[in-house]
Amino acid sequence: MSIEIRGLTKHYDTTRAIDGVSLDLADEVRVLALIGPSGGGKSTFLRLLGGLEVPTAGTIQIDGNFLPQDEDLLRDHRRRNGFLFQSFNLFPHLTALENIVLPLVEVQGRKRDEALARAHEVVARFGMADHLTKRPAELSGGQQQRIALARAMAHEPAFLLLDEPTSALDPEMKAEVLDLIEELCHAGQRIVLSTHEMGFARGSSDAVVFLAGGKVIESGPAEEIFGEPKSETVRAFFGKVMKW
Amino acid sequence: MWKTAFSILVSVVLLATFSFVIWVVASHDYRWGAIAPYWKNLLSGWWMTLLISGVSLLLSVVIGALLTAGQLSGHRLPTVLCRVYVEFIRGTPLLTQILIGYYLIANAINWHSNVGVGIVVLSCFSGAYLSEIFRGGVESIPRSQWLSARAIGFTEGQTYRFVVIPQAVRRVLPASAGQFANLVKDSSLLFVISVHEFTMQAREANANSYATFEAYLPLIVGYFLLTFPISLLSRHLEQRFRYEH
Repeated sequence: MSIEIRGLTKHYDTTRAIDGVSLDLADEVRVLALIGPSGGGKSTFLRLLGGLEVPTAGTIQIDGNFLPQDEDLLRDHRRRNGFLFQSFNLFPHLTALENIVLPLVEVQGRKRDEALARAHEVVARFGMADHLTKRPAELSGGQQQRIALARAMAHEPAFLLLDEPTSALDPEMKAEVLDLIEELCHAGQRIVLSTHEMGFARGSSDAVVFLAGGKVIESGPAEEIFGEPKSETVRAFFGKVMKW
Repeated sequence: MWKTAFSILVSVVLLATFSFVIWVVASHDYRWGAIAPYWKNLLSGWWMTLLISGVSLLLSVVIGALLTAGQLSGHRLPTVLCRVYVEFIRGTPLLTQILIGYYLIANAINWHSNVGVGIVVLSCFSGAYLSEIFRGGVESIPRSQWLSARAIGFTEGQTYRFVVIPQAVRRVLPASAGQFANLVKDSSLLFVISVHEFTMQAREANANSYATFEAYLPLIVGYFLLTFPISLLSRHLEQRFRYEH
């Protein structure tokens, strides 16, 4: 994916969540990891990239196309991508299966039987075939996140955007979900994720961006950033998060 | 331990109160014969109340939904207007609204059906309360659900239809059932425009027979027969739309 970002800024009232970010990512980068302290702008950056928020200033170009500002066009952009949140955000009144089928039918315009077949296919891939008729409240956090991942992947998204996908999970479930995401990385899925899992970011991503205070502190290939970080902020951050 | 003691205390107090009330009411010396000529009127009044309440209930849901939509429209003018309407209706006596509605407003447009006007005024009144219940329900759906729906690519309309309303319905059921029961009982105020509903018939039976309790006691049974099914239906629907386990 080639991503070209110029002067990207997002303000909420008085806080500058993203503060003049410029970034170029080459086409070979398939998996991009956003790391950095909480509140540093990772989530906002992902939401801007996914068209969930409109920037206060600046532009984003993905594969040569500028991200539109207009809500209708932006919705088309969202429909092409898949988004996964930290807190799963499944629809609690629908079964796991309906959570996946509903967007396929209503948003992607698939026929119902076709959508059902597709839903069964992704769910089987994510090891959730036995839980299709359950509602989210009957599933564990890890299972909910796998259904959410299946929902985000069902329409074969151009990009999969993952906002701290494992932060709300206990270690065992974390591993389950990370395994799945890694599988998707290997299968060539284009992914942008924000994460606190440094091992995962290092092992699975092609490029890493370190965000703090709404600015890009450092960016580059994973090995470079983790191997020999140039900035003091990044070194201090690694020192803290890797201590334990 | 304390919980058990409290449960026993509550049960004893309530049982004692119930028994006392039933005993007092039952031991009164009734002259049922005195209102025998008016049973037919009472029954027709009950049917009238059923008709008025039923139609008003449906109409008030429509009005409530429209007022909620207006308040959530995101446009300033309808929001303010709906707000003004709700505050005004909820803050003033129904009795006065019925009088103004019938003698001034309906009269001005040459509409003289007291039952028709009564239904409309009741619906407008109850709709204001319902709209606040509905609005509370819609606003109680967490932001994360909106965000998720947006991320999927739902339009605002689709988000309401597939995500927000189905969840909100479940949440507003108990409060709505309470409001419907109020509506049934509030319909008794339509006596001021001479609608021959249930309470009006009881008043007339009392005035003619001087048998006060004999005339008014049937109201207890009659109104309860109308409100209790609403309560049961609401419970049933709550169970059916249950999704949190």
